[in-house]
Amino acid sequence: MIQRHSGPRRPSLVASDGLRAEPPVQKRPEIPRPTFHDMTSRLSTIERAPVFFTFPEDALRAIARRVRRVRIPAGEMVLCQGEVGDTIFFIERGRCRLVVEKPPSIVTVAVLSEGDFFGEGACVLGRSQQASVYAQTECYLLALDRQSLHAVMAGREGDGMDELRRLAEQRFSLFADISVQATWGQLLQEATVIGVYSPKGGSGGTCISLNLVGALARRYPGEVLLLDLDFPYSHSALLAGLVPTSCLARIASVPQESFEDVLLSTVLYDSGGPMILPGALRPEEADEVTPELLNKAIAALRKTFRYIVVDLGVTITDSTLALFDLTQHVVLIAAPELSAVKSAADAVDILSRLGTPHDRLTVVLNHRSEKPAVSKSAVERALKRNVDLEIAFDGIRPEQAAVDGAILSITNPKSEIAQGAEALAAMLDAKHARSRNPVESSSVSGGIAEHVVQPS
Amino acid sequence: MLAPVAAIQRARDGVRRAAVRRRLEAVASGKATSTSGTFDEPGVDVAGVIEEITVGLKTDSLPMERLVVALTNSGAVDRMIEGLEAKSAHHRSAGARAIGALRIYEAVPSVAPLLASRERPVSDAAARALGRIGGAHSAGALLFALQRRGISRRLVAELARGAPDLFIEAALAQPQKPGARPALALAAGLRRRRTATSQLTALVRGGSRRERVISCRALGWIGATTAIPAITEALYDREWKLRVSAAKALGALRARDSRHEIHYLLADRNPRVRAAARQALRQIEAG
Repeated sequence: MIQRHSGPRRPSLVASDGLRAEPPVQKRPEIPRPTFHDMTSRLSTIERAPVFFTFPEDALRAIARRVRRVRIPAGEMVLCQGEVGDTIFFIERGRCRLVVEKPPSIVTVAVLSEGDFFGEGACVLGRSQQASVYAQTECYLLALDRQSLHAVMAGREGDGMDELRRLAEQRFSLFADISVQATWGQLLQEATVIGVYSPKGGSGGTCISLNLVGALARRYPGEVLLLDLDFPYSHSALLAGLVPTSCLARIASVPQESFEDVLLSTVLYDSGGPMILPGALRPEEADEVTPELLNKAIAALRKTFRYIVVDLGVTITDSTLALFDLTQHVVLIAAPELSAVKSAADAVDILSRLGTPHDRLTVVLNHRSEKPAVSKSAVERALKRNVDLEIAFDGIRPEQAAVDGAILSITNPKSEIAQGAEALAAMLDAKHARSRNPVESSSVSGGIAEHVVQPS
Repeated sequence: MLAPVAAIQRARDGVRRAAVRRRLEAVASGKATSTSGTFDEPGVDVAGVIEEITVGLKTDSLPMERLVVALTNSGAVDRMIEGLEAKSAHHRSAGARAIGALRIYEAVPSVAPLLASRERPVSDAAARALGRIGGAHSAGALLFALQRRGISRRLVAELARGAPDLFIEAALAQPQKPGARPALALAAGLRRRRTATSQLTALVRGGSRRERVISCRALGWIGATTAIPAITEALYDREWKLRVSAAKALGALRARDSRHEIHYLLADRNPRVRAAARQALRQIEAG
């Protein structure tokens, strides 16, 4: 009986010119062999790839000869989830984002760069594409189709094909787990976490966070929380006219069983609807807010609220990075000043490297002066993307509101800041809105079980 | 009615064919390991038998591997390759069919020249073989033939079947001979891969008349809803074929937002455009 993984398998066929009865009418030109430098470049990409670096030298050379180079412009789709596929793509240059679309959410499961590869699940395991792949930047990919892979690996199954299959299985499970974990909050109808990041101090990040929470709280009273992580000095409570007595940092050592109760008792309630949880009251307490504590706190808060807006401040720390992983949406605040625009451009780049999907990032241009030094079009050119929302100069109203301890989106809805916050809330709500309670949705459609939920 | 001698001969051929089939099936199922002399049976279409046995088998499946190994060891595969260069068109097409059925990727350079054959059965058999084998080299050969011959239904269908991921999309993005790009757009539509959407949309907006007509239909087949604005714009084109194609595509896409624009075509001066618009509106209403 023939063993599947042993012995000579596919014939090596060499066309013999002497046997030709008649020359073909028009011979297809030979596929050009890669040049020395091209081969070197291909080899160095394939050699870096996981599993492939274990392949024997001659197999790698054969693969390098057979791959074809494909250029993908930034933003283009490379593979589509659910479709069949037969090719492994090595990333020679650029970055690709793998997303699993599980309506209503889109989960980024990986961001791959030079030396990585994707498409192995469809190519090696014969499954449909598990994730859609988009080029984040302009990419040069080396495409290795199934036929070429089999032709090269024929007769040497033990040399790495099993490893490749194992890796494909492993990645398949990993991506499935990640996508499920990322969507479980939505499936369980838990809070949407929105990070507000302002890469330059004085851009109005805290002011916009506070007013955004106010605007959302007008829609969903008692269901919106502002988590203030603008370290080292957290001023959200002060700006809202509230006096904090505790903070997230101070409950770090609370035992697990009572953590949720203590956490909720730390939340400050504003009469207008929004709630505020200070991260730290003193600068030295900021170090107590660790990524682990944040994970624990967000997990607990998501069960209670509809929206959690996190004021991320200016600095990027471990806690900020941990929060970026937990957010479903990021709002980036830019001011029309040279240094602020430069910082915002860097921040957009960092966020895209972290795998924040393009549609889950909203750029807000906040005018802090009557005559901006940098125009909107110049900001857009620097950011290489459109500004989603522009907030006009609002005079001294924000400063006056801070002195009065008022939130403009609640007390003065006609002010520019309030209108901007309202527009931002509408954008976010359109993207992340959901019916929290099945009874609520039945009240919309009417029918026998018509119950209207009164806001608490 | 058949003459007695012819009937007897036919019966003999049938018996031989059945014997060949049993032998090959035994190999595929692992009950036998050798198939010596199988390819030389007189009066038996062995390529047809191989095609029947391998229908539905995957390239890397165990029965396929067994067949390839047994036929290679018996020298049958070498004779198939030699058959590709025979004078007889029958032998050449039989060799191509058998190689295609066995998905022998290494034989692509030998099969590819047959695409240029003047005998239709030979070039068709070669195209089918390359489509079945698949891979970049097969697709490259089919693309080269398309560039030479322009749109040929067989070549387009086989390119759609055999091209690896992003092959057609990459080819659409490169400079092509005038006849090749419509053929590629057609192949992209037949493949129904959403990765071709942006290239086809670009063709709808800026291609030649023929390219625009074909790209519209292709986008409809793919179900590319993101291309609806571009297709809707094409409804106002002066070229009636493009208007027909755009209406059909929007119908296939169930583009509810374009109903008013399609409705406008019900008063078109061309009866085919009106018919296409009516059909599209029916599809959209049916949801």
